[in-house]
Amino acid sequence: MKTSQGQIGKNLGDILEVSLERIESLLKGDYGLSKRAIGLFLLQEDGELISKVRETQPDIWPVIEKIIRDTKQHYQQPLTYIINLSYHEEARRIMQTVLTHMPRQSLPFRERLSRVMINPVTGLPILLLILYYGIYKFVGGFGAGMAVDFIEKKIFEAHINLWFTRLFNLFIPWRLLADLFVGEFGILTLGIRYAIALILPIVATFFIAFAVIEDSGYLPRLALLIDRLFKKIGLTGRAVIPMVLGLGCDTMATMVTRTLPTKRERVIATVLLALAVPCSAQLGVILSLLAGNPKGLWLWAFIVGLVFLLIGFLSSLILPGEAPSFYMEIPPLRLPKFSNVFIKTLTRVEWYFREIFPMFILASIFIWLGQLTGLFGLLTRILEHPIRWIGLPDKASVAFLFGFFRRDYGAAGLYDIKKAGLLNGNQLVVACVTLTLFLPCIAQFLMNVKERGVRTGIAISVFVLFFSFSTGFLVNFLLILFGVHL
Amino acid sequence: MKKIAVVGSPNVGKSLLFNRLTGAYANVSNYPGTTVEVTRGRAKIGENEFEVIDTPGMYSLLPISEEERVARSILLSERPEVVLYIVDAKNLERMLPLGLQLIEAKLPVILVLNIIDEAENIGMSFNLGHLEKELRVPVAATASTTGRGIDVLKGKIEDFTRSNRQKSG
Repeated sequence: MKTSQGQIGKNLGDILEVSLERIESLLKGDYGLSKRAIGLFLLQEDGELISKVRETQPDIWPVIEKIIRDTKQHYQQPLTYIINLSYHEEARRIMQTVLTHMPRQSLPFRERLSRVMINPVTGLPILLLILYYGIYKFVGGFGAGMAVDFIEKKIFEAHINLWFTRLFNLFIPWRLLADLFVGEFGILTLGIRYAIALILPIVATFFIAFAVIEDSGYLPRLALLIDRLFKKIGLTGRAVIPMVLGLGCDTMATMVTRTLPTKRERVIATVLLALAVPCSAQLGVILSLLAGNPKGLWLWAFIVGLVFLLIGFLSSLILPGEAPSFYMEIPPLRLPKFSNVFIKTLTRVEWYFREIFPMFILASIFIWLGQLTGLFGLLTRILEHPIRWIGLPDKASVAFLFGFFRRDYGAAGLYDIKKAGLLNGNQLVVACVTLTLFLPCIAQFLMNVKERGVRTGIAISVFVLFFSFSTGFLVNFLLILFGVHL
Repeated sequence: MKKIAVVGSPNVGKSLLFNRLTGAYANVSNYPGTTVEVTRGRAKIGENEFEVIDTPGMYSLLPISEEERVARSILLSERPEVVLYIVDAKNLERMLPLGLQLIEAKLPVILVLNIIDEAENIGMSFNLGHLEKELRVPVAATASTTGRGIDVLKGKIEDFTRSNRQKSG
């Protein structure tokens, strides 16, 4: 991009500049701002001004629209991005002539901390510390461990389940109908118990941790830290926010991929979210499943991390388009405010619950219907085959079938199987890896289709289905081959 | 009455500067059809009285939030005679792009480097003359917390409106 002295904003690319001048010459009438500014807004597809120009000059609009369309085709990146970049370059140039003295010595503590976070040598240990205390200890240990134990054992198993089971068995004489509410997969004993006793504490603790990290201003620094790595997989540091948010809820994160500037980045991010980023509910259950098995936990993290990088790298090779570039506003670091953290956590948990609660109840109803008609048994039996290939007990197929409804629902199913003592160490790792990579939940699938279109959305899901079982198979095979017992 | 619009990103001392210009009386109301609050007050600068509008914080002229949309439509529809673009002097480079957008839109911009005291405390210094020449708009340095530079700013507003009025006849 060329810069010409003293002409503000005139250092746009040639094609963009020519288009802009053509639009300027077409605009007639008074829009309250310079024609150049109006032209720039139109090129950036500003809805308000588009409708204004349409109204004022309806005959000219189609011509302008065509210019905009043609211009867009010449650029890989959105025009907003290119135009902004030229402003930033101009600002940097002006600063060089204007700033007569810039302090170098003794940066304030915040600034020093900020640099330590961005520098790879010091930043990675900091990131690991944050992950260890924020995710492993707080979400895994406190949320998925202590809180789940308490709510599940002290509240549900000791009181609610017993009480309701007695109540329903007393008042509903038909066994079949009572099963819908208090049976093995009943709405109360399974659906609501999973939602409140397992998922709620995990998701709430994750969103608290995320809100604290977000409010402190750490995320943009993490983005800079990880930018170089992400460039290798066709993304930039900008993708850090959807990825980290994906550790909370992949559906929410898929929606947030909108903030990525190019279509290519959005597709890569969506694939990675669907495949290799476990959501907090799933993560929490997996952490507690593997809690007594540190080697297994490391192996799980290693495999999922490897898949993340490998698939990102491969899709950045396959998908057409140029490597993205990246700049980001870095707000100052600050101590998180309690009220901010509270509100953010509350709204996210609320969103999440509105999303999953009906789904959990619906799942119980479907399973009940499925059992009634024998369809459920049929599907579990079909699933038992791939489940056996990856070396898991037949009963795990129920968990995987649940996984179709919600990933975390499936993980929670495994939790019950493990409690029954049906899984050994190896099987547990294989199950966790496969389930982590396994199909996105219904909500995420729908979001994929909504954001990426029907074809891409379905293609991603089919790919994920095959990839997850293949990886499970491979892991199991390698564990047996090398005689590893976890 | 002629209008002065005060614009800038959040947290640059916009409202404090607004208070410095207008004194005690301000009128807060929702911008029509929105939930965004806009504060208006009056200021006497030189011989002229102005209505001063404290616009919601904005990061870019291309709006994303409702606040930014309101700020822009104030600039578009209320035709202020002066647009005071307030920046945090420490972060001038980060805030200059919006300034460039405003200038490019041919709005009557005066650039105000606010919180100049903090910038100087950490050892930054600026050549305001060069900045005026580069941007071709008046530039003033202020510290709205202490009131430093406000009189100079008022003088610049006076000169600016006088010469603009002469130009337009």
